Amino acid sequence: MKKKSGSGFRRAVLAVFGDERRQSITIPVFAVVLSLLASAVMLLALGKDPINAFLGMLRGCGIVPKANYAAKTGMLTDFMSFLNVLAPMIFAALAVAVASKTGLFNIGISGQMLFAGFIATVVVGYSDLPAAAALPLVIIIGVTAGALVGGIIGFLKYRFNINEVVSSIMLNYIIQYVVSFFINMYYVDPVSRQSMYISNASRLTITGVEIFGMKADLPLAMLLVPPAIIFAKVLFDRTKIGYEMKSVGLSRNAARYAGMSVGKNMVLSMLVSGALAGLAGVAYYLGYFNSIQPGVLTSVGFDSIAVSILGNYNPVGIFFSSFLITIVSKGSTYMSSSAAIPQEIASIITGLILVVSACTFFIRTKLARMKEREIESRKAAEAATPDEPVPAAEDSKGGER
Amino acid sequence: MVYFIYTYSQGGVKTGLSEYIVEMRGVTKRFPGIVANDNVSIAIKKGEIYALLGENGAGKSTLMSMLFGLYEPDEGEIYVRGEKVTLESPAAAAKLGIGMVHQHFRLISNYTIAQNIVLGIEPKKRLLGFLPTVDIKKANRDIAELSRRYGLEVDPTQKIEDVGVSMQQRVEILKMLYREAEILIFDEPTAMLTPQEIEFLLKIILELRAGGKTIILITHKLEEIKQVADRCAVLARGKLIGVIDAATTSTREMANMMVGREVETDIDKKPANFGREILKVEGLTVKNDDGLEVVKDVGFSVRAGEIFAVAGVSGNGQIELADAVAGLAKTSGGRIFLDGEEITHASVRDRILAGMSYIPEDRQNVGLVLDFDLAENLALKSYFKEPFCRKGFLNRAAFEEHGNRLIEEYDIRSGQGTHTQVRSMSGGNQQKAIIAREIELESKLMIFVQPTRGLDIGAIENIRRQILAERDAGRAVLLISLELDEIMALADTIGVIYRGQLLKTAPAAELTSRKVGEYMMGVSA
Repeated sequence: MKKKSGSGFRRAVLAVFGDERRQSITIPVFAVVLSLLASAVMLLALGKDPINAFLGMLRGCGIVPKANYAAKTGMLTDFMSFLNVLAPMIFAALAVAVASKTGLFNIGISGQMLFAGFIATVVVGYSDLPAAAALPLVIIIGVTAGALVGGIIGFLKYRFNINEVVSSIMLNYIIQYVVSFFINMYYVDPVSRQSMYISNASRLTITGVEIFGMKADLPLAMLLVPPAIIFAKVLFDRTKIGYEMKSVGLSRNAARYAGMSVGKNMVLSMLVSGALAGLAGVAYYLGYFNSIQPGVLTSVGFDSIAVSILGNYNPVGIFFSSFLITIVSKGSTYMSSSAAIPQEIASIITGLILVVSACTFFIRTKLARMKEREIESRKAAEAATPDEPVPAAEDSKGGER
Repeated sequence: MVYFIYTYSQGGVKTGLSEYIVEMRGVTKRFPGIVANDNVSIAIKKGEIYALLGENGAGKSTLMSMLFGLYEPDEGEIYVRGEKVTLESPAAAAKLGIGMVHQHFRLISNYTIAQNIVLGIEPKKRLLGFLPTVDIKKANRDIAELSRRYGLEVDPTQKIEDVGVSMQQRVEILKMLYREAEILIFDEPTAMLTPQEIEFLLKIILELRAGGKTIILITHKLEEIKQVADRCAVLARGKLIGVIDAATTSTREMANMMVGREVETDIDKKPANFGREILKVEGLTVKNDDGLEVVKDVGFSVRAGEIFAVAGVSGNGQIELADAVAGLAKTSGGRIFLDGEEITHASVRDRILAGMSYIPEDRQNVGLVLDFDLAENLALKSYFKEPFCRKGFLNRAAFEEHGNRLIEEYDIRSGQGTHTQVRSMSGGNQQKAIIAREIELESKLMIFVQPTRGLDIGAIENIRRQILAERDAGRAVLLISLELDEIMALADTIGVIYRGQLLKTAPAAELTSRKVGEYMMGVSA
């Protein structure tokens, strides 16, 4: 009896999610909808209006207009500020995706970001270079520094078979405390207890630009987002290196059998991953912020892992998932002040989305198994005689041999 | 066809139950797609050494796993000491005095020998009169005493990680004895031991019998059976072929029983036309991860237009041999030449470019990237060359064109053509794809390992024809197969590998399958 109702449910589920080619879209959408529904239930339980809460987030990000604005500010102000946080998230999530193509888990994005941000801050941020020289230099230094750290992790994996998760977590700590030490010793601002502010010329944000009578901070890092996405997309789909990376990630044995160098590809993917993380680092510390808080790793690096999964490791998917997660995290400030909802709720919503999205693999394998069972039970139904229903399925299968 | 007639020495159901300590009656066990045991009945007397003989996959381990409570039979009954039992777990089996030494030891490497042995049934004492603790001193004493009694000297305080394979096996045996097991199952106990260690182990087994234990020995080594066993049940393809008296049956007869069947083939084979020497292997030695020499001083050569087949029971080094020639396994000695050029230390890629195709045993994990589509898999060995790749960028159109051509030419069936995920394809079509890709490389040497394993008859015929076609096209073919009839049907020259050594190399015409079978079992010298 239970089996019958189960198979009806199974058929319904498979009708919506059964197509593997569409799963890369349907499953993340399902994950997001499910977690937003759960969040809505939670907000209702707290006696808050969920619609209002979600609108509050969108308003805070300059996507939906607020009721009123302070002088010289407007939707554009909020939206530009939103883009400034979005850029590092996209780079970081792309970094996760590149590493994952070769089957590596770069959990050290935050450390790589901090290292790149710190080196760029010290070398360029505290110099007198004009913007025309400083900005390209910030990018180059950020990318190089990130690639260096990523490359070390890849090399340790390749040469000594040290698990990349362990080495990147350890490097996270090392970078976190070493950078903290240098900031506290040499670069600390006694008032803010953070690193001294960098020069405006070296900042990847042009502050206080007036557009349509609204003051806004222009996020320059956003200009690099389309090239980065295209770079990742082309790398994965159109290049020999991408093909080798994917082979290594999907089947190390097959890659070796085909004559590819597994080690070289792992180091290479960690180099590229680190470079993108470095880009995220300078966009974050020398763009959205202009100083570094010592002793703290940004959560962007960790959120980016789930963002990347939610985006199905696809560069375009990552753009949308970054957009979504950043709306929730960035918009929560305004939501909390306007709708009188504690800001922590936003973290819970983010957490919910990320948890559910991290389950996409589970959902996918579950669906695959459902499909198998559906096919099997259909076969069994064909094979079984009228007076001998379902339990004969296994026996009749074995009997064929 | 050759038939063998054997007398069934066991009395079967009608005999008094008390004579047998273990009886399995009509036991059938199915796994998806395969019948591992098909109506097998065996009866084992108390105090005998009962051997289970069969090729890999004959169903020996499955049968014993049911006696040890790892699986439950789909049909049939198990009797222990005359009583019908259901063994739903190893713990239930242990209660009945059944113990098993697995092929792969189950020991905790950073525990001492004594800790490993007593684990689960530790002797306890009360510290300060009330705190229960493990009395490790008593355990050490007990085990030292036990090991002396059975001549299995161990130092109970040594850690497992510090002792060798043979010592670990002793620990496994002591583990059973400490639990007072009466029925001891040994699963391929000599697989990892040196000849001296094997001698010692067999002596121990004889002593255990003298001590009143019943021993079941799973093996495919005939001389061990001859040396220690009282009776021997021969299994093939899940079925019981017969039960023989070890003392009065020759190893040759056992070998024939195990593999003996003359299979006729209806594939036309044109007379061979040998060309120059393409592959030459000299003194090749390969070590496995444990440092054991799995291929020892192997030398042979394959000429253009020749099928050189390596016959052997699984696990005698043939896979490692193929991997070493293909560059996937490190060699620790010897030299390999491809068409006169030494390639002993060449990379896999260089060997492919020098003209080597390889159809690996594990088609799903090695031969294919299952999550790539068919077009990508069909170009797995040529993606870096024109027209697939120009200046580092791939040309998807070339992949498609190449894929479509191969799908057409080799009749590869798939749901969505070149876009089909290879994972979703049937095993036969996956193999077709690999063979298509490897033939398309137009290599001088083609290595086929188990090319027809697990495929249906139609696919098998087709692949065998392709192998012959490649030979007739003047390629050198190295064929490694566990199927004797496949080797007999295809080979021009047969090399029989036994324990990593080429025991016999001769033109196929000079050998019968029975003869090859005997060499495979190490019977003929």
